[in-house]
Amino acid sequence: MATIDFLAICMIVTSLAVFGLRNLKASVAIYAVQTLLLVTIFFLLASEFSAQQLSTWAVVAFFTKVIFVPAILFWLIRKLNVISEDEPVGGFFVSPIIAMGFSLAIAMSIHNIFLEFSLIKEEILLIAAGTVFMMGIFGFMLRNSFIKQILAYCLFENGIHLSLALMAYNSHELVELGILTDAIFAVIIMSILAVRFYKAYNSLDTSKASNLRG
Amino acid sequence: MDSLTLILILPLLGALIIFLSPKNFGILSTLHVIISAITSAVLLANVCKVLGGETLYSYDSFLFLDSLSCVFLVLIAVTGFLVNLYSTTYMKWEFEEGHINLCDLKKYYALSHVFVFTMSLSVICNNVAFMWAAIEATTLASVFLVAIHKDQKSTESGYKYIVLCSIGLAFALYATVLLYSATFSNIGNGEHAMLWTSIMDHAKDLNGDAAKLIFIFALIGFGTKAGLAPTHTWLPDVHAQGPAPISALLSGVLLKCAMLALFRYYAVTAEAVGFEFVQSVMLVSGTITLFVAGIFLIRQHDVKRMFAYHSVVHMGVIAFALGIGGEFGLFAAIFHCLAHSFTKALAFCSTGNIARIYGHKDMSKMGGMIKIAPITTILFGASVCSLVGVPAFAIFVGEFLVFKGAIASGQFIAVGLFAIALAIIFIADFSHFNMASFGEPKDVVVHAKEMSLMENLPLIALCVLIIVFGVWHVDSFYTLVENGVKILMRG
Repeated sequence: MATIDFLAICMIVTSLAVFGLRNLKASVAIYAVQTLLLVTIFFLLASEFSAQQLSTWAVVAFFTKVIFVPAILFWLIRKLNVISEDEPVGGFFVSPIIAMGFSLAIAMSIHNIFLEFSLIKEEILLIAAGTVFMMGIFGFMLRNSFIKQILAYCLFENGIHLSLALMAYNSHELVELGILTDAIFAVIIMSILAVRFYKAYNSLDTSKASNLRG
Repeated sequence: MDSLTLILILPLLGALIIFLSPKNFGILSTLHVIISAITSAVLLANVCKVLGGETLYSYDSFLFLDSLSCVFLVLIAVTGFLVNLYSTTYMKWEFEEGHINLCDLKKYYALSHVFVFTMSLSVICNNVAFMWAAIEATTLASVFLVAIHKDQKSTESGYKYIVLCSIGLAFALYATVLLYSATFSNIGNGEHAMLWTSIMDHAKDLNGDAAKLIFIFALIGFGTKAGLAPTHTWLPDVHAQGPAPISALLSGVLLKCAMLALFRYYAVTAEAVGFEFVQSVMLVSGTITLFVAGIFLIRQHDVKRMFAYHSVVHMGVIAFALGIGGEFGLFAAIFHCLAHSFTKALAFCSTGNIARIYGHKDMSKMGGMIKIAPITTILFGASVCSLVGVPAFAIFVGEFLVFKGAIASGQFIAVGLFAIALAIIFIADFSHFNMASFGEPKDVVVHAKEMSLMENLPLIALCVLIIVFGVWHVDSFYTLVENGVKILMRG
């Protein structure tokens, strides 16, 4: 198996770990590992496909997503002094199975259309990008902890980042910068909201936010 | 510096000036109004340049302004200015009642201009990925405007807003990436494959399956932000909790920015696979949205939640008009954006007055407003009349054109469904209006007198605009809309 395919599978496995682990610090650490895998993939793709832009992407992603975003999340966990997440929708055991099953199925079913137009035609990487993205979407739906939901956002942002690298690495560098800046601001703003949420509800369990239904 | 750059620089500069200004209510409010007025004047000056049907370009076509964008720039300029003018009044009340301090006020005013910047960027961006980034940035810029208070409900609304919009827009980003790659495979130029103008020129060569998938992703993504069912759920919560002027801006302008993105994807997909596909999808989406929102609308007693569901309803009307298609349908869709923008700005601003009078927003505990504040009641009534499509108000024009387009194209089942949905909305609205306006007050009245003329001035201006666009054929604006229809009809 090629190194890139192996890394792609590792990204899928780490997304399951980020989603499924109960310990929040461990989840953030695994997210940092996943982003490091993403950076490595960018470097490998840059040399294999003469896509020099991806080397720049890798350097930017290293500082922003391997260092900065996990640092914010570690700060958040420390500030709020929370250790593990609240009971997710469907329970700790069932929700990761549901999420991974559906994510893989969706990614497998649509990757062919993406493959047709990809600048870099790496099937396993495209499936991994789709799976990580969908794990993020399911993370939002099935996990109740606010920090887990921020991590879910980071997951689907990683999935999109990988798709962007495969399908549009030759786009203007401003595009990647714009999307990345948005993502980082989103994490910062969500973290500030998480602190406010904790102060208002004395918990990070978002299922308690039910004052406005109807 | 070219005029398109000025559109972006001015609100950012304005935000910086406000941020650096002393914490004085008078100074901050005056600066807020002056900066809004200058920004709006520059926006309208650019619109005037495009009125002849030309397109303005800047930075190697990275920014552009065509007739379709101009319609939305008009909304930012006019609705944005009048709402910002009203926000100084509203914030004065909030400040006097101790709900906010000067620090919050400064943040509010500064972020309002950042919000205008992000909306303007999303409208004039020719680069498809940057337009996505700008629309995502509108959420980030406005989340603390919505959640300005730090209580449970306000925090919950901010949380729901950012989470749901971020999930939705993730799908829109996938649509963006796929659109770029599919276009690049045809034209082989990375720079051009990102530009709407080039994408439209080469849309005919797009792979049909890819175009359909792109449109579905875009509909989920931008539809979430625009408030189309079933992903509309953030909207009532956010509108119910945000300050009245922010609800007015969100409903009056922001939803339309997402709708503009959807218009562009609609045009590209129609060019690639024909109108039948996009019309069918939009017809289904519009009908579901109309009925879901209509049913929820009946149950609402909170005046802001009621108007929030109205936003969903009217996004459904726009989607429905796109589904009807043809010249009438597309004209109606674009025109409805303006009609709804002015109407909803008036509606939400009037809820600011109502909340001040009663100290709450529950219509079942109001009553007798006509005796307490007749002008506010008339303005509230005018917004309700326009929202339900009473003739001589702007929204009637859009809805009439939908009927005309549907009948002309023989879509009689669609006509029937549309009529039923509007009937539900009509009944729900007038029963709510009567509940609040007539009879005797059912609870304590906090401020038992009418607002001053100066305080009501922005609302009166909005009311006049609604009637003007409902009665007169405003030539310059109709030219913009007609040119916008031509852009959408290239397929």
